[in-house]
Parts: sequence; structure tokens; C-alpha cells
Amino acid sequence: MIINKEVKMADVIHTNYFTLSVLNRFGIELGFGDKSVEEVCKQNDVDLDFFLDIVNTFVDKDYFPKKHLQTFPVKLITNYLQKTHNDYHSSNVPEIEELIEKMVDSSQTQKDNIVLLKKFFNEYKEELQNHTNREEEVVFPYAHAIENAFYSDKIDKSVIELMQNYSIEVFQNEHDNIEEKLFDLKNIIIKYLPQPKDVKLCKKLLHELFSLEQDLNDHARIEEKVLVPKIREMEEIINKRFSEESKNA
Amino acid sequence: MPKSTFIVIEQSYIIRKGLISLIEKIPNTQIILQIDNMNDIDNVLNHDPDFIIINSNLLDKNVTDYLSKNAENAQMILLSENHKDSFKEINWVENILINETQNSILKKVNKLIGNHISNQPQRYTPDEISEREADILRNIALGHSNKEIADKLFISTHTVVTHRKNITRKLGIKTVPGLTIYAILNKLIDLDDTS
Repeated sequence: MIINKEVKMADVIHTNYFTLSVLNRFGIELGFGDKSVEEVCKQNDVDLDFFLDIVNTFVDKDYFPKKHLQTFPVKLITNYLQKTHNDYHSSNVPEIEELIEKMVDSSQTQKDNIVLLKKFFNEYKEELQNHTNREEEVVFPYAHAIENAFYSDKIDKSVIELMQNYSIEVFQNEHDNIEEKLFDLKNIIIKYLPQPKDVKLCKKLLHELFSLEQDLNDHARIEEKVLVPKIREMEEIINKRFSEESKNA
Repeated sequence: MPKSTFIVIEQSYIIRKGLISLIEKIPNTQIILQIDNMNDIDNVLNHDPDFIIINSNLLDKNVTDYLSKNAENAQMILLSENHKDSFKEINWVENILINETQNSILKKVNKLIGNHISNQPQRYTPDEISEREADILRNIALGHSNKEIADKLFISTHTVVTHRKNITRKLGIKTVPGLTIYAILNKLIDLDDTS
């Protein structure tokens, strides 16, 4: 289903309850009765087009938000991505750690194996941290600089130099695959780990891992389909304007 | 059983989605990419698919030349309205017609997948790795590089890489730390060996 502004907000959650985390990032609280997406967004001071793109990208992996590319500022996108980063580090990861810790405590016969899982996840956590740091320290500031230049009256030479040293293309190529380890962890638990005594814990852990994976995939899709194309287009226009301005000067 | 991977290149949304949902009915198939044009053909081949299904309307001399030179590993399937004798530069393994019945298409694709799998050089029971692969896996888990493993087992690094690919495919584990855990769980190495 493609969600449009007339759809009831409640139905968005019925369609895919993982969208709860999306709503949370927009600061939208539950209890909206039969209000439509448009009404709820207005009430919460949320950019409607941006919300629709984000939520549709989340729900449908093939959704491609072409026509809205120009409308909302880059800052909105990076703010949202920043919030997903915060969620990983303050919610998803600690919850998984807690579950693994509980599994270590409750297991007797295969403590060693669970400790292995724990070690593995710790490494993953570090990788995820590096990944989000890199985005916050390099990619987001770059995107903001490009947007500022895009809306300025005159293209400064420093921006062109900035673009020669780094471009959104570089980001796309260096964007390492942080889903791989998570995928391995899931498969180890599903296929190879001898069933621990406390099956409930194990199921909860898997659920959390799937949920984190879903969020990560969504995060990657927003970068790939919303942020990167927008910045790439701005880069092109800046380059064109700069060569025209230097001709006229 | 390893998954057979497909790329579907078709302009029509309805036909593309329809064909994909048909292929996905067959177990152990995976659609790795679906596109509606030929603009980014390099990218297509980077995915290293087992099969490429492509609509004849998207073909021209440039495309077929390019594919016949560069898509050696993929098996090519032509999608068209009628039986086509053109585009002979490409060695088509099958021709699917737009108006074909579901059963007929399923039969064709199943047959191709069957051939594809029996033609693969190595074939073991699923989920199990051979003794040789276990040797390699043990060494990977101990942190040895491809070169070191090759020297130790008197094989080429190329062979090591092939073994690694097969191990990853069979176990569904891609990363070295993941493989290490598998090795420990299955007592290929001891926990104390890794540090």
C-alpha cells in the first residue's frame, strides 16, 4: 500500500507496526483517533511530504520518492537519520545487550557459546558506532555545506574544492555493509546455536535483531533514495553554475 | 541448496512484477535486481547473477554486443511477445513469451534451475561442508590469510577463495567473526585457539 495524506494515521501502524519507531522519531504520539496523516502531521508540526516519503520508504522497499526530491531541506533528512542513530545507540543496542546478558546468566551448559555471541555482538556494536560517527562527522556536514552553497547567490570556489575532495559518490561507494554481521548473528542463532534452556529469551533476542535489521535497512534506503540523489543533483547544479559564473566574470 | 539468482529487466511495471512473483514461487530463487531500462548495464553485471531475463524491446546492437562479451557467467533468458530469432550474438538458454501460461513458465524456469545446479562443479549435501572446506574454515577461524592458508595446504590462493565462497554460501555466514563462531560451536577449533 502506498500511504498518502488521506490515509488514517492509525492505518499506517496497522499496515506495518514497525512504523511505530518512525512516528516516534517525528515526535508523533499515539491517540490520534481517526485523524488522517495530513491532520496529524499538521498538529505535530511535521513536514507532510517528508513524512510521507520516509514512511513509504519504510513500508515498501521498492518505493521510490522521485517527485518530492526538491521540496524539503537536507537538514530534515539528516535530522531524521541522526534520530535513527540515536535510537540504535540508546534503545536497540542496549536492549539486545541486555538480552544476551540474561542469556549468559541463565545458561549453564553452554555459557561459553553465549559468551561468544556476546563478544561477537560487542564487535558489531563498535562497527555500528564507527559507521554512525563517520556519517555524523563527515557525510552530514558535507550535505549541509552543499545545500548552503546551492541556495547562495554566488558559488564560492571553496565549495568546488570541497566537492573535488569529497562527493556524495564517494560516500555511496565507501558505504560499508553493516548489515552483514547482523545477518550472520541471526543465522548463527537460527541455524547453529544449540537451543538454550530459556527459549523465550532466544526468541526475544531474534525479534530484536530482526527489528534492528529492519531499521538499518530503512536507514540505508533513505540515504540511498532520498539523501544521495538530492545531494547529487545539487552537486551537478553547483558545478554548472560555477562554470557559468566564472565565464561571465 | 544454493539459491539461483535472477535479474529481471523489463520496462512494463505490471509484467515485471508479475514475472517476479512467478519466479519467487519457486523455492531457492532470489531476485537480486529489477530494473526497467538498460542505462546502467555495468551495475547489472556487478551483481553476478545466475540468470538475466531481459525484454527483447530493450535490446539493440550495442547492448547485445556488450552482454555477449561481458556476461559470460550469467545465463540469458529472452522475454518477448513472439518467438524471436534475432539477437543471435547472445546465447539464449530460454525464451519466455509474454502470453505464456503460468505452468509453462514455471516449467521452463524450473528446468533451467535444475540444469544450472547439476552443472555446478561442486555439489555437497546442503548445510554440510566437506572435510577440505572444514580445513579451510579452521584456518580462517584461526585468523590466517588466504595466502597463508594456501601455502600451508599446498593449494593456490585462487582455490582458497573458491572454497571460502562455497563455505559462505553453504553456511549462510559471510563474515570472518561469524565463521569463527561457527567453527567453535562445531568444535573445529577451540575457544582458546583464538585470541
